Amino acid sequence: MISVSKLLCETAAAGDGLRYGDPSDVPQITDEKQRRPVVVWNVTRGCNLACQHCYASAEAERADGELSTAEGKQLLRDLAEYGVPVVLFSGGEPLVRDDLTELVAYARDQGIRPVLSTNGTLLTPDRARALRDAGLAYAGVSVDGLATANDAFRGREGAFDAAVRGIEACLDVGLKTGLRYTVTERTVDDMEGVVDLLHDVGVDRFCFYHLDYGGRGGDIADADLDSERRREVVRRLCDLTREYHADGSPIETLLVGNYADGGFVVEYARDELGDAAAERIYAALRRNGGDPAGDRVADVDYHGNVHPTQFWQGYALGNVRDRPFGAIWADESNPLLSRLRDRESELSGKCVDCCYREICGGGSPLRSLTVHGDPLAPDPQCYLTESERRGEPPVAVPERMAEPGD
Amino acid sequence: MADCPRDATEREWELFRRASVDEPLTHVGSVTAPSAPVAYEQAAMLFPAAVDLWLCPADETHRYASAALGARAGEDGGSADEPETEGDAHDEEAAPAPSEADA
Repeated sequence: MISVSKLLCETAAAGDGLRYGDPSDVPQITDEKQRRPVVVWNVTRGCNLACQHCYASAEAERADGELSTAEGKQLLRDLAEYGVPVVLFSGGEPLVRDDLTELVAYARDQGIRPVLSTNGTLLTPDRARALRDAGLAYAGVSVDGLATANDAFRGREGAFDAAVRGIEACLDVGLKTGLRYTVTERTVDDMEGVVDLLHDVGVDRFCFYHLDYGGRGGDIADADLDSERRREVVRRLCDLTREYHADGSPIETLLVGNYADGGFVVEYARDELGDAAAERIYAALRRNGGDPAGDRVADVDYHGNVHPTQFWQGYALGNVRDRPFGAIWADESNPLLSRLRDRESELSGKCVDCCYREICGGGSPLRSLTVHGDPLAPDPQCYLTESERRGEPPVAVPERMAEPGD
Repeated sequence: MADCPRDATEREWELFRRASVDEPLTHVGSVTAPSAPVAYEQAAMLFPAAVDLWLCPADETHRYASAALGARAGEDGGSADEPETEGDAHDEEAAPAPSEADA
């Protein structure tokens, strides 16, 4: 996850401490918990929509044998004991579980920051208020276009209007709420329109996802953007973010799922803001690291399987019903897990001499596996030009040495 | 012990890998695939250096785990809709007990 607004406009948000380790006036999550992964928990398979790109291949009905309330609480205790800083409740659609509020409150009580990924259509004022009272820190609502495109993409007429009502319900009770938007050829044309519309509603956080090839996402790879189009889109998001800031109504803009974005944003900064800005941004991205699969992000599905990322549901490292999460995640006797955490020595092809390999890590292992049959092959979605890859990175600011009393 | 399915969209296969002929088989997770040959193809891409890859249907595996989640949570597995007995997950750290976590 790359914060365009933080990098280009130097505005801070609560998650930036996890990403860049920067001090700021905004309360940050900067303690040792940074070293533990953010955990996505797909609490159910059930969903009231049928999205074309659903990585979890969600269905209308919940699955048999989903983790129970008691098992979920034990899982949350295990995650807290391991030092997990954030749990993202996801699905399916997590709001189809009647015990969601109870689980959110339990996560909060364990010292974990609970956040939510939802399609928003079931967010009534009562449920939004209950989630706020339970300690939910953030609700990310998925919208993939204006009404016509969104409803076609997400498989139900009226889904757009229902999602906007859900967003309004959250904002009305003071619950921090943002947009999640997957950019494909089927959704890209509405991107700016959705930002403008939701900004008018009161949303100020916008997360844009590149398509990953997990679940039904792999079935629509033909709708993925080509490199030229992707460059246009990311450039437009950089411009748009700066325009909102210049107009005095700053928005938080994040790019998710393709760490070539880091190199692109550095190049953008060099062109638009100068070498010093590019250097600062490169240093921040270097602190953040590249693609987080198997390291800074983990996923637990509704049956307890632990995946290297939420998108990679076809492979599990283990199952929390057998072994605590921390034991699975720390077990680097699994050679795939250790390879994912030591990417730089494993990179191949055009990644080997790419000047941005330290801030990218080779990109999405799932896309590489899907297209090349090798999770550590170059990401097929990399859109940096050869001259960008073969250039000189800005000189990274050396890490500050720890001093006594730090 | 109640059934606790591991499969999502397709069958789940427990995966065992041997790195060299003089080493033991080691469990290295599971893959999702409709058949054993497809599961093998996927496993071979993930663990290309293995000399042996064994695949076992997850739903044919009987697990006797000392740290099973359900036992530690104070319940005997079961579904997400089962009512939670008072205090079972809030107040008690059930001692690890041998249990078959899956069938």
